[in-house]
Parts: sequence; structure tokens; C-alpha cells
Amino acid sequence: MAETVAIEARKLNFYYAGNIHALKDINFSACKRTVTALIGPSGCGKTTLLRCFNRMHDLYPKNRYEGEIIFEDKNILSNEIDLIALRSTVGMVFQKPTPFPMSIFDNIAYGLKLKGVKKRSDLSEKIEKALKHAALWDEVKDKLNDSAYELSGGQQQRLVIARALAVEPEVLLFDEPTSALDPISTGKIEELIVQLKNDVTIIIVTHNMQQAARISDWTGFMMLGELIEFDKTDKMFTAPSEKLTEDYITGRFG
Amino acid sequence: MNIEKRRKLESFIALLLSTLAAVFGLLWLVFILGDVLVHGIGALKLSLFLNDPTPPGVTGGGLRNAFVGQLLITVFATLIGVPVGVLGGTFLAEYARGTKIARIISILSDIMVSVPSIVIGTFIYAILVKPVGHFNGWAGAVALAVIMIPVVLRTTEDMLSLVPWTLREAAFALGSPYYKVIIQVVYRGAATGILTGILLSIARVAGETAPLLFTSFNNAFFSVDMKGPISSLTVSIFQYAMGPYDEWHMQAWAASFVITVFVLLLTILGRLIIKWRYR
Repeated sequence: MAETVAIEARKLNFYYAGNIHALKDINFSACKRTVTALIGPSGCGKTTLLRCFNRMHDLYPKNRYEGEIIFEDKNILSNEIDLIALRSTVGMVFQKPTPFPMSIFDNIAYGLKLKGVKKRSDLSEKIEKALKHAALWDEVKDKLNDSAYELSGGQQQRLVIARALAVEPEVLLFDEPTSALDPISTGKIEELIVQLKNDVTIIIVTHNMQQAARISDWTGFMMLGELIEFDKTDKMFTAPSEKLTEDYITGRFG
Repeated sequence: MNIEKRRKLESFIALLLSTLAAVFGLLWLVFILGDVLVHGIGALKLSLFLNDPTPPGVTGGGLRNAFVGQLLITVFATLIGVPVGVLGGTFLAEYARGTKIARIISILSDIMVSVPSIVIGTFIYAILVKPVGHFNGWAGAVALAVIMIPVVLRTTEDMLSLVPWTLREAAFALGSPYYKVIIQVVYRGAATGILTGILLSIARVAGETAPLLFTSFNNAFFSVDMKGPISSLTVSIFQYAMGPYDEWHMQAWAASFVITVFVLLLTILGRLIIKWRYR
């Protein structure tokens, strides 16, 4: 591997409350400035894995991790990790757009203010940059003070991406970001993701195999909590090594 | 009689009974409101708001002391009750979400909502009036606050629970600590609902008499001293309506009218906010 690893899971096991073993011995890594896709049938654990990388599972009691996730030379599963700092360097975009009940401007300012940006001029500058980055600036530049709820679903999703980008994360996690969107909005988001990999490391969970094939460099195929195969996307979709992967990709189940 | 005719007849009877019940209920409401309106408007005078009570027989008296007293008690009740209610509701919906203790507190406050207000009045009498030795305005404000708390608490809890959980996750995912998630995101999402709950709870306590009778009692003189007995509209209405003088009756009608209109306006405002929010 010529590329440098951005975030890496080593022998990762995860248990939901009630000892449900959701991830089994996962060894997985995402390289800097690449898009890594996670595919697999429903309930296979891809979203569970994604949510380990920003410790989202900690919001709910009695969830338990085992193993290590190495990010910036530290094990982020250790108790000493500052979750607030972690989450501001590992951003997340959800399945349904999640704009906050406030103006477009304030939505993006939210993360910036958390990071301590206070001056109005600094905020405006960074917000413009983030919106341009997320290819939304031209559509909203004249109505920054309007409610974010007035945007269309696709625009809301790009707003949420802009909000995540504004705090300049190292890694961006996408949890089926287009499954609630129409094809045109989906196309825009996909284009955006491909562009974004110049600046951030992207891990994306998707139900749509064509989407994984179109936008990712690496693909992991998961089933029943295990990472069955993990390889370059080209190879995965043309010559998978595992029989299970081939069956899934060719639509024999799932 | 065939089955179709029977169904039509049954349907007609059900319609008739429910209509009669509705009309019967509305009749009293309209009767009461109409009576208050007719007598109240007739008795409404500017002196009612500007003058303090005069000794019986001396004309030109008003209820300025009662208006001011009522305002003071209600404002302080709101200042005590709303923060406790909102924070308590926040605890139930956020920090204690899904736990047994949260469910128990929820059920208890539902019961508290329907506890007769006179019980709360006597309770406050026992802890805030008896030990002090005399009636006082603070006791009145606390009694009204105790009535407000469960209403505000439950509304807050319900409104916060309606805010989608994914919105909180999105805020957490940006590296926000929980208290900022609640204050900056969740409260914004639930703001109109909580505000409505607060308005309706103020409307609820503004018309209470029983708890004030035991706590702030009444004062024939103008007073803004919350440490002593203080006059209120509802208690004044009670005493004036029971009194032997026509002048007092007139003033009681006028005061009833004012307080009814106030509660009505608050309730309408609350309803309007709900309508604007959820259209």
C-alpha cells in the first residue's frame, strides 16, 4: 500500500447493550484522501462499524467496544480520548438530512462556534468557503438568513455536508447519504464526495452497489458482523476473491 | 325492519345523543361567559383600575390593589414555576430518557395536574403561612407555582421528545457537549411548544382562588409587599360577590370580566402558536 493509512480498526469487536455481538474481529483501514465504501445486506453491521469511528455508540448506555481503532497515532477507543475533540475531527453525515432549526448561516456557524470561532467576519468567511466547498453557495448566497428547512432535501444534505466541512475534519463518515434523495440530488452528492477526497478521508456506507463502484477507491463487503472482503473497488467488482462477495455483487442474495 | 334501516336509525340516535350532550355542555359555557360579559362590561369603569377600595358606602372605589397584587403573584409564580418545570421536563426527556425514575415522575406529575388546587393551598399554608405566622404574597406565588410546575414539566417533556433523535446525533457528531445540544438545538426545535405550555399554565393559575385564599389571602389596602398579605383579583371577586353591597357586586362582575378575558386571550394565543407552528 503506497497510501498512508488515516484510520485503522484492529481486531475490533462491538457489542450492543444486551451483549449482542454486532462486529466480529474487524480489521479495516481507510487511506488518506480516498473514498472507502462499506457494502453488505441490511443488518450486516456496516453502519455499526461506521459509528465506531466517531464513538457515536457512546451516546447509548451499555454499548461495548473491544480491540483498537488507531487514528492519529492514538487508540480512539481508550477512555482517555476526548470525545468532543474526536468528533470535531471525524465528522458525520446521516441518512436523512439533519439541518438544525435555525438559519442556513447559523447551521454552519454552529460547529465553528463550538471550535471557538467568534468574530462575525471570520464566521462569514469560513461559512462561504464551506458552502462553496459543498457546491451550495450559488443556490443559497442570497438567503443565508432563511430557515434551513426551506431548502430542498438535496440542498439540506449538502448544507449538512458544508456544516461538517466547515470545522475542517480529517475524516468524514457518510451513512447512506443519498438514500432519502432523488436521482439528481444523488448525482450532485456523489460528485461532491469524489471532489472532497482531495481534502478529507471519506468512509461511506451505502446500500447501492453501483454507487460504491462509481465513487469509491476501496470497498469493504460485510456480512453478519464480519468483514468478508476488503480490497480495491476495481478488483472487488471485477474479480472478488470470496465466493460470498461475488454472490452478493451479482445479486444472488441481499 | 331490515338491517339497513336499523343501521340508519342507530346512526341517527347516536348523532342525536352526542349533539344533545354537546349542546348541553356548551349551553352552560355560553351562559356563564355571556353573563360575565353582560354584567362585566356594564360594570367596567376606569376607576376600577385606578382607585383602591373605599369603605362601604363611599363611592368611587376600585380594585387597583387587586390588579397589582394579582400581577405580582402571577409573575413571581411564573418566575418560580417555569424554570423548575422546564428544567424538570428537560431532565425527564433528555438525561433520564427511558429510565424508570423518569416514568415515575411523569406519572406523578400527571396526577399532580389533577390534584384539587385547594389541597395545594392548604399544603402551602402549612409550610409557608403557619410557620411565618401571617398570610403572605410569597406563599401565594409558591402555591400557584406548584400548580404550574407539573403542567410545564409535562409539556416540556412531550415537546422535547418530539424533537427527532437524529437531530441530537447530528449535533453530537459535530463535537457538541450535551448541554449545548440541548440549549442550542433541542430547545430551538421545541421552543414554540414549550412557550405554548407556559402560556396555558399561566392561564390555568390566573383563575385560581382556593390556593390564594389560604396563602396570600386579601388586603384592603394597596400593597406590593410580598412578605405580607396581598390582594388578588380572584380572592377579591370571592369576597365582593359574597358581600352585601351592590357596589361590591358590580366590581366583582367587572373583575370577573377582566380576568376571564385575560385567560381567554392567553388560551387563544397559545392555540394560535400551536396552529402557526404545526400548519
